This record gives sequence, structure tokens and C-alpha cells, in this order.
Amino acid sequence: MKISINWLRDYIDLSGISLDEIVHKLSVAGLEVEEVIDQSKVFENFVVGYVKEKKKHPNADKLSVCIVDDGTSEHNVVCGAPNVEQGQKVAFAKVGAVIPSEGIKLAKAKIRGEQSFGMICSEKELGLSDNHEGILVLDSNIETGKNLADAVGQNDIVLDIAITPNRADALSHIGIARDLSAIFKRELKFPEIKFKESQKKSSDYAKVEIVDAVNCPRYIGKVVNGVTIGESPNWLKTKLKSIGLRPINNVVDVTNFVLYEVGQPLHAFDLDNLTGEKIVVRCASEDEKFTTLDSKERILKSTDLMICDAEKPVAIAGVMGGENSEVTPSTKNVLIESAYFNPSSIRKTAKRLGLSTDASYRFERGSDFNITQWAARRAAQLIQEVAGGEIYSGEIDAYPTPITLKTAKLRYSRISKILGYEVSLPNVKDILKNLGFTIKLESENEIEVIIPGYRHDIEREIDLIEEVARIYGYDLIPEINKVSTTLEDKIDQSAFNDNVRNILTSLGFYEIMTNSLVKESTAYRFGSPIKMLNPQSSEMSHLRPSLLPGMLQAVSNNLKVNEKNLKFFEIGKVFEKISDSEITSFDDFTEKEHLIIALTGKEIETEWYAQDRREDVFDLKGAVYNFLNKLYRATEFKTTYDVTDRFTEQSFGITTEFGNIGIGGKIKTEFQQLFDINQEVFIAILEVDSLKAILEPQRKFKELLKFPKVYRDIAFVLEKDVESDKVIGVIKEASSKLLHQIKLFDIFQSDSLGKDKKSLAFQLEYYDSSRTLTEDEVDKEFRKIIQTVEKTFGAQLRGA
Amino acid sequence: MLDKISETRNNFDDDLSKVSDLNSLEDVRLKYLSRKGILTQFFEDFKSVPNDQKKLVGQSLNNLKTHIQEKFDSLKSEIESRTNLQKQSDIDLTLPGRTYQVGSKHLITQTMDEVKYIFKGLGFSLFEGPELESDYNNFTALNFADDHPARDMQDTFFVTPNFVLRTHTSPVQIRVMQNMKPPIRAIMPGKVYRNEVISAKSYCLFHQVEGLYVDTDVTFAELKATLVAFLKQFFGKDVVYRFRASFFPFTEPSAEMDVWWQPKGKEGRWLEVLGCGMVDPNVFINVGIDPEKYTGYAFGMGIERTAMRKYGIDDIRILFDSDIRFLKQF
Repeated sequence: MKISINWLRDYIDLSGISLDEIVHKLSVAGLEVEEVIDQSKVFENFVVGYVKEKKKHPNADKLSVCIVDDGTSEHNVVCGAPNVEQGQKVAFAKVGAVIPSEGIKLAKAKIRGEQSFGMICSEKELGLSDNHEGILVLDSNIETGKNLADAVGQNDIVLDIAITPNRADALSHIGIARDLSAIFKRELKFPEIKFKESQKKSSDYAKVEIVDAVNCPRYIGKVVNGVTIGESPNWLKTKLKSIGLRPINNVVDVTNFVLYEVGQPLHAFDLDNLTGEKIVVRCASEDEKFTTLDSKERILKSTDLMICDAEKPVAIAGVMGGENSEVTPSTKNVLIESAYFNPSSIRKTAKRLGLSTDASYRFERGSDFNITQWAARRAAQLIQEVAGGEIYSGEIDAYPTPITLKTAKLRYSRISKILGYEVSLPNVKDILKNLGFTIKLESENEIEVIIPGYRHDIEREIDLIEEVARIYGYDLIPEINKVSTTLEDKIDQSAFNDNVRNILTSLGFYEIMTNSLVKESTAYRFGSPIKMLNPQSSEMSHLRPSLLPGMLQAVSNNLKVNEKNLKFFEIGKVFEKISDSEITSFDDFTEKEHLIIALTGKEIETEWYAQDRREDVFDLKGAVYNFLNKLYRATEFKTTYDVTDRFTEQSFGITTEFGNIGIGGKIKTEFQQLFDINQEVFIAILEVDSLKAILEPQRKFKELLKFPKVYRDIAFVLEKDVESDKVIGVIKEASSKLLHQIKLFDIFQSDSLGKDKKSLAFQLEYYDSSRTLTEDEVDKEFRKIIQTVEKTFGAQLRGA
Repeated sequence: MLDKISETRNNFDDDLSKVSDLNSLEDVRLKYLSRKGILTQFFEDFKSVPNDQKKLVGQSLNNLKTHIQEKFDSLKSEIESRTNLQKQSDIDLTLPGRTYQVGSKHLITQTMDEVKYIFKGLGFSLFEGPELESDYNNFTALNFADDHPARDMQDTFFVTPNFVLRTHTSPVQIRVMQNMKPPIRAIMPGKVYRNEVISAKSYCLFHQVEGLYVDTDVTFAELKATLVAFLKQFFGKDVVYRFRASFFPFTEPSAEMDVWWQPKGKEGRWLEVLGCGMVDPNVFINVGIDPEKYTGYAFGMGIERTAMRKYGIDDIRILFDSDIRFLKQF
């Protein structure tokens, strides 16, 4: 919200306080100044000039050549205005000035052969009005060379303040001034209302009836008759313009002025357009149509509160007036509305209609039910001042059940208990009093205060403590250089994932983070997704049921920029519906944490020491098992090959005695194509919760081997389709516990071995941790293996 | 004989000084040290030396032998190591080393780790919670009144009227307080969602770290001191900050902390880095903690903005684009 410093000065004496201090203290007190706009900056390089001499331009009839004194030096200036005369004080833009109306930086120029250094400006060029009939002639008493901003009163400073939703009371100049008065301990001055009221009574000329008193607790009407609608005087236009409002006409301008002065939204009705000179506050009929001031037709609901006359609605209460009763140039008689509406009712209507106005913004945050009368009178006074007319005496005050002001207690001991530092009692009381609280009761240990009607955010002791703290100043809070901490056990639920990330990065993978929101078609292709009620766009309408689409998209994006060799992982949540029924509890959906690993492109790019080689499923297996074995050193991970997976081929499953961990394989071509990927991608998806559920036995140190290991190499010629894993299994089975490791070190295929044959070569490692093995016993083991493998697979010992 | 010995010594020194490689050294060895060499001849001759001279000549002969052997050995090893060096220079040492691939954590994870590390040092535990939350945990329990404009502060993705994508990590506070008794001292990092138009400045999701400390004597002054300690560790000792009153439904008094940001050659400004405050008594009541006995503070900060500021990233979307050219930079 924009707040003018000049305007603020009407309510508080700010002399001797620097702008920086105002900005800082307001911000620290919770009224954050986001921007400071110095109006005079617009008039940098503009000064009051003195036309010392005027001559006709030698080459152009309508131009003249002037010598302008800018207070320090004289300039030759070509001017086209008919009203420029010698001896005038004028608004002079020096070379380098930026002309506000055009945004162009002024340079020296040659006009029809005459040099011109600067420009004598019109009001329009200065952005002061639309007047472009001639140059702006200033009062002859103004000193030559004076800053133009000061000379024309464009020296206001405007603060753009971010108001948090709890501070409805601060949505006006008096509201801001009230905080300043508490901060700087200076008096808050309300403008005095003085006007002549006629003998005629407002209540004789208009009536107010409240049908829905819950949503409209108070409604005040005041009549001003015989006004002349026209342009507002300069002081009023300047104030409104300073905070970015466009002046409309004198009566409407006054209602806007009072809103920004004290925070009470007002509405001015053309009394002659109110049938029966009557206001009825009631709810709309369902689907009733109504045209608002902005010429839009709105369809209403029976919960919308309306201001009506004897026959028809004339305004949506607290949101926007109607076209049928607005003040027009021909309006003579005016009814001023100053009401208090239920915040929740206004919020519902404004939200449903998508219509946020200055009025609804304040009403839905809670306006001051006690300022309504003052605001109506203030508006009447100003209308009479700027538009003439006769103020009818008194107000029509429909207030069926007067609202009682609430109270709150504050125990002194709680202040330091919460804040951790002492604020002196007189200080506490001063702060509350300056903010408008009245002390009702006072005892040794506590006070009870009456909460003013504009502070809807304050109900409890803690709210009062906050007021004390923020006005006392958050920057004065001592930074106690000692921080207490509990000595309880410390838990770290993220430690597991941290470890996962460490291992995978050490294996050469880059972590990615992709959007958890995906489009419908993708979502359904990869699971049973959950739809959002209010998506930002159809591209992000569902929660991801799998990390796979995000990963494939990531691969695709990189291929597009010619980055083809990728090793990625992501840890993230995936969401799936359990049944088709609506989600009503946490049992209706799953939120699981997954880990996805992806490999694609070349494992090795051609180097001086190696040929290039593309990633294949064995790179994936290697990565997955290296990762798992690093994560859990003492757990046995089994691979299963009887898995079928929708998205992959060459698929394999990973299990432990605790259950399935995940799946890996090569992405099927159809899914590759779906993401515009033209190279093989290998993916593994692991369930983090299943990984976490593995109970790893406590690691124990194993005595280092004191006796030698014995190695034997062995190669079999087998049918081509015999799986290596099966052979290893048979070797294990045929061996005693002396065999500790089997390593497949060569695979060879050639016609020389026979048709459809292959050779597998293994290295066998034997040892016993308690003694040295003899050649004989190893040979015995070895022979048993040869026999069993030969028998089981019809294999032949190679080279035998 | 003694003259001969001293003459030989000089000759040997002379010969050795001319040696330049292993071949010429071998010649020297043959001449002096071999079975047919000069030394062997001397020892042959020694037998015929008269007994009375034997002691003197023997001594001098032994000295000569030691001298020749030592000089020879030392020159030999010198020449050998010189030759090895020459062999080495047959390798082109300027070839690049073989590549080892090392990946990296996402920049957001790295920044989060930094924040976690600091708070763990300050004695905080770490808890996580779900992203798809009940409206109750995300709003109601945190003292957001129904129909209050405070609900507009966070644009929310709804899955049903009662389930939302959490708009902040604060619901984890509720979960932790429901399940633990004070003292509770924990941070709660995680992903949060906002229903905003995606642009350079905002994305539909980002990451937060929430903090909570509940005990019998936790104060606002301690909150400020803790957060100042954090800011100094994270941004450096000289960080310029301010502690400013603000509003959050779940804390009171509430504050925000700004740090002064001074880009080179540009106008400086305050940038908000975190929100905080004392846990609102209504929140304590909602989770069954007695607000008369316990007090507590809570705070929360966005990770993306912090990382972007630190590394000069001006478009948030690049963080979620998975572009390897970006990932490799961090």
C-alpha cells in the first residue's frame, strides 16, 4: 500500500525524524517498507528559470529564442509556446533532464539553425496536468534556480508498505500514523470535523433497514443534498495521485480520500436513484443478476450480502457499487454509506466473484465498527467543502446490536517469559495506550486493556506481548550470546538418504530434481495418479506416480543439447491412489520415496588409453550392486530374472530376505520414443522404504587371513544357452566351504569349439582361515567340480 | 711396492674420472677389480713381500682396495640412476591422466546440507514428513482460521478440499509435537509446493527448512541469538541483518530476518531470508502441549532463493531442468 509522507504529516508531527529512521522503524515494527519513491527525483535537472530576454527566431515565425537564467548560468533556448514572455519565471529543463510526459532525455539541439540548450516546459510535459496550451508560468516571487520539485509542490515521498493480513488497522494513513505515534511517542492528531448542518434531518429523507444483521452489524447513512459534481480541487487530486489513485469526481474522490485517510470504505449513492429513498441490507436471491460499476454483469448467490433500495439491489455489500445508483455528473443528492460488514461474508463473495476491491480488501480483514460514524461525518464535511451542498443533520445509524469492545489481560511476568528480556512497566503501558488500547484495570501483576475496534487481530495476552515487542523494537532484542540446547538423543531422519547420495555421486552419478507435477496422459501411463483440483496448467495436473517420466524427460532434454553420455539419479516422492474412491484419509493413497538410477550413452568415450564403449545392462547391474554392497556390506542381495516389467526389457529384480527392493533393465523402445530418445537408456528404480527396512547385522571385524590362498583356473565348453549363473551355482554346490570365491574371467565363442558352444573360464579361490591347504585336498575339490559340471551340463573341460 | 700402490691409486682416480657410461665403467672394473685385474695381481705379489714390510704394505694395499671399491660402487649407482631417468623420458608424461568419473549432489541438496550441518552443530535433530498433507496439519492445526485472508498468503494446490500439497514444512512441526514430549529441538527439511505461475522468479515447488525448539524456558531473545548464529555461519561473520516484525498465523510474536545484499556496482537492498517467531499458544493447544508451562520458537527458510543468491543464478527453472552442463558446475 502506498503511503504519502506529506499526507501522514496531517496526523502526526514528524519533524526532526529522518526518512531513513521512519523507513527503518516502520519496517522493524512489522510495516515493511518495500520501496521509497521520491517524487522529486522526476524533476532532477529541472529548475526555476528566469526568461531574461526573448527574441523572434530568425528562421521561424512561431518560434522564439530566449535567454534563460537557471540561477548559475544563462542558456540559449528555442521555445514554441505563444505565452512565453521576457521576465517570466518558468519551469526550465536543463540538458540531461528526462521529460516526464515523454520519458526522453533532453540533449542540446539545433532548431531551424538556432542552438537550444534546454527546454521551457508546459504542465503536460511535466506530467502535472493535461494542459498544453502554453508553458507553465510560475509565481514571480519564486527564486530563480530553485529546485522545480519544491517550487511546484512535487516533493512528496511515497512509501510502498507491505501490510501483513493481520494488520487491517494499518491500511490507511491514520493507521500508519498510529504506529508511528507509538514508535516515536508523538501525539496522533485526528482531523477536527466542523461543518454547518441544516435543520433537515438525514433520517427524514432516507431510511435504512438491516434484514441480515449477522452479516451487517452496522449501517450508517448520511445525506448531503444539492451538491455540484465536478473536478476536485488540486489539494485533493494531489493527495490521491500521490498514492497512485486516479481522481474521478469530487464526491467519489472524497469517499476514496476518507478510505485512505482512516481505512473506512465508503460508498456514495445518487439518492434520487434509490427507489423509496430506502436502503435495505439483505442477501441476494439465488442466481440474481446484477451489473456492477465496472459494467460487468455478475451472477449472485443467496449467500451474497446486497445493499438494496425498496425494489432492487444497488450494490454488492462491501465489494462494489452498482451501475444503477452511481454518482454521475448530474447527481444532486447524495447518500453516504459507512458500514461494518462481517469479514467472512465479504471474503466469500469477493473470492467467489474474483473481485478484490479497496473496500472488500479492508472489510474482509476487519474494519473498525466504531469509526463508521466519524467517517460518514468526515465525508460529509469534505463533500460540502469541495462540492457544496447542504448537510442534513444527524446520521441514520442502523445498529441493531451494538458490538462490545473486547478486553484482554496481560500478566507482566509473561512478557519476559516469552521475550527473554525486560520491558519496563511504564514503557509497556505507553506502548499500549499509544496504539489505542484503554487500560481498564490495573493491579500489581497484570493489566486488563480494552481492545480498540480496529484491532481484530488482538484477542489474547500473547497478542499484547507481540505489540509490546514490535513497538519496543525487534532490533533492541538482546542477542544472548548463549544458546541453550536439550541434551536428548539426536535423531537424523535424513541420514540414510544422505548416505545414498554420497555413494551414488562417488560412483559417478549426478543428482537431478524433477517436477513432481506431470500431465494427465503421462501420469496415467506410469501409474494410478492423483489429480489436483486446481492445477496451474494441464501440463502439471497430476502428482507423479513414478520417477520414470521425469528421468526420461531429463535424458531427452540433455540429448537435445547434444549431451549424450549421462549418469543420473533422483530421490523423490511418488504418489498413487489406492482405489478409485475420493481421497478422504491417508489410507486412500500412498506416498512413497523412490530412488531412480539411469545410465545412457558411452561409458568410456574414446581416449588415448581405451576404445569407446556404450553403457549396457551390465553397467547398470554393476552400478546397482556396487551401490547396494557399499550401502549394506553384510547383506546378501539376490537377483531374479523372472520379472516382467512394463517399461523395461533385459529386466532383473533385486531382492533380499526382507523382500523386493526394486527392478532394473533397458527402457523399451516405445517409451524411448515417447520421450524422443534415440539411444538406449538403462534404468533401475529402488524403493527407499524397502532399502531402509533392511536390517543390517552389526559389522564385526574379521581376522585377517594368516594362511595362503590357493587359486585354480578352470574352463568348460558348454552349450551356448547355459547361463553362467547356473554354472556358478553348480560349482558352489559341488564345493566345500574351502571355496570362497568364483570369478568368471573369460567368455569365448568360436566354431572351433563346436556349433552353438561356448567356453566359460572361472578362477576359483580356496583357503582355510585356520591352516594351510594341501595340494591334494584342493585337487580333490577341483576334480569334484569338473565331474559335476560335466555331468550336469554335458560340458567338457576345455583343453582336456 | 708402496710406490706402485700409490701410483695405482692415482691411475685409478684418473681412469675413473674419464668414465661416462656403464661400458667404460666396465673397462675400469676389468682393469682393477676383475680376477685378472691389478688388485688381484697386487695380492699375488704381496705374498713375496718380506715379512718385516708385510704389515705396512698390507695396510696400504687394503686401503687401496677399499678406495677403489667404494669409488667404483658410488659411480656405478650414480650412472645407473642417470640411465633410469633417461629411460623414463621415453614416456610422454604430458599425456592426460585416465578419467575417473565422480558425480555430484544437486545444488539444492548441497545448500540444504550446509544448512543442516550448521543446525546439527547447534544441537538440532532432523525429521521429515509427507508432501501430500491434510488441510488440518497444513493449515488448521497451525492456527490458520477458516476464511481468513492469511490463507491467501500461500497459493495452495488442492487434491481434495481436505488434502493439499503442503505449502510449507510447518505441518511437520505438528507431527513432531503430536508424537514427542518436550524438550523438542529439531529441524525439518523438505519439498513444498505453491500454486504459482512458473517464471524465472518462482516455481511450483521449492525446498524449505523448518526449525522448532520447545522447552520450558525458550524465549524470543534466544531465537534471535540462534538465528544470528546461523546467519553468521552461513553468510559469514560480517553479515548485515535485521530482525523485523511480521505475521504468521502459527507464531506470535512473529519476525522475519533480512540480510543486506550489496551486489557490486548496484544499489544494495534488504533481502528476506527467513521467517520465525514464538510458537502460538493455539498451536500448542492443538497438539496437546500446555502453553503456560512450555514456550517455543519456530523458523523456516527457503533453500532455492538462498542458493540462487549465493551462486548468482537468476532463473529458478534451471535448478529443475536437469541439464548436465548445469549440474557439472556444482
